[in-house]
Amino acid sequence: MDYVLKIIPQMLDGCAVSAQVFLITIVLSIPLGVLLSLGRVSSIKPLQKIIGFYVWIMRGSPLMLQIFFVYFVLPSVGIRLPDFESAAVAFVLNYAAYFCEIFRAGIQAIPKGQYEAAHTLGMNYVQTMRRIVLPQVIRIILPPISNETITLVKDTSLVYVLAMNDLMRTARNLVQRDFNITPFIVAGCFYLFATLILTVIFERLEKHFSKYDQ
Amino acid sequence: MNKIKAQNIWKKFNKLEVLKGIDLEVNEGEVVAVIGPSGGGKSTLLRCLNKLETIDKGSVIIDGEALCTETATGTEYVNKNDVRRIACKMGMVFQQFNLFPHMTVLENLIEAPVNVQKRDKATVIKEAEALLAKVGLSDKRDEYPRKLSGGQQQRVAIARALAMKPAIMLFDEPTSSLDPELTGEVLKTMRELAEEKMTMVVVTHEMGFAKEVATKVVFMADGRVQAQGTPAEIFENPTNDRLKAFLNVILK
Repeated sequence: MDYVLKIIPQMLDGCAVSAQVFLITIVLSIPLGVLLSLGRVSSIKPLQKIIGFYVWIMRGSPLMLQIFFVYFVLPSVGIRLPDFESAAVAFVLNYAAYFCEIFRAGIQAIPKGQYEAAHTLGMNYVQTMRRIVLPQVIRIILPPISNETITLVKDTSLVYVLAMNDLMRTARNLVQRDFNITPFIVAGCFYLFATLILTVIFERLEKHFSKYDQ
Repeated sequence: MNKIKAQNIWKKFNKLEVLKGIDLEVNEGEVVAVIGPSGGGKSTLLRCLNKLETIDKGSVIIDGEALCTETATGTEYVNKNDVRRIACKMGMVFQQFNLFPHMTVLENLIEAPVNVQKRDKATVIKEAEALLAKVGLSDKRDEYPRKLSGGQQQRVAIARALAMKPAIMLFDEPTSSLDPELTGEVLKTMRELAEEKMTMVVVTHEMGFAKEVATKVVFMADGRVQAQGTPAEIFENPTNDRLKAFLNVILK
């Protein structure tokens, strides 16, 4: 127990790094995903194609490879980013692709009659999306969004490849230094705690957004 | 005065010609029932009036304003904003109701008057409550549509369309997806509207309604208007063979 208390401060520093990667990814990739999905369901063919290609690249290659790409390859074309920013860019671009597909599925699940009713009431595209379609999409996509968000908590451990001291790397360093596997157990508990909180939050959100459907 | 004047409307889906040169005129206060066999183009015609479907050729004039004008090659629509403005002069009631499920009954009614027409919210709410009273659903004001029966949902849909103060009401088979015992309440509401001299176009399979409420009946089949006239002319003295065959099947 003494040992656990001794390593907690370092572990919390690691948590802070992981939490930053998590938060910046969520805050930026969800709006980006919304925009991408609107382009993907738009009637502009080239835009659909380009976004489809983007989604294929991002979902079809490992996130770790994308992190390496941003950190090691982009400097050769003059874009040099520090480690945290590199990781953030790769995470945001990758997760936006997944969110794009989730939003697309949600938008396409809304019956055509909803758009037609909005049209006959004189609503324009923005009003129709904002007032009629997206509020209904939220209810449909919350479960898959929750899933992606929990995956992201664990994916943050990938930043160790850029030698960032996130929760996972901190734990591994401690294990190697002290020849004691307790830090792994503590790290596991932190991850589980984070996902528990997210699970509770998403359950509440789902309940809130489906109140009209009960 | 003409509320609707559609001339030489042609429309095809892929290779299938659905409308083959339709003319339709609706005068103020008229109740026009459009009847005919399924697949005859009735609903498509209705949907062309507010550009839920884009026509290939012809012109449509709504309440004195051109929605589209026939040209040598087909038709030319007015710009997007004018299309929207002209389209919402017509309230539309759908077979599937199409209420907004995430909004309460009252919210469904006030959404467009407040956010599209930018009218004063308190006034709109008062008017919406009066409309709900008129369709007999005051007690459902704060319910979500899911809690309502089909007949109640359709009456809310009618009230929602009326909340826009439309010049014309379009009904696309408003009772076709209702249980038989629920059609009466919807038809009653429509009948009351007709008595108030609302200009209406009703695509329907309810021959009783067409006979008793309509001032004009249009019989469509194979993408053409085969016959039109007063209910008496259509139902009691049909001359068109296609119409006779249809009535034989329907009224036997």
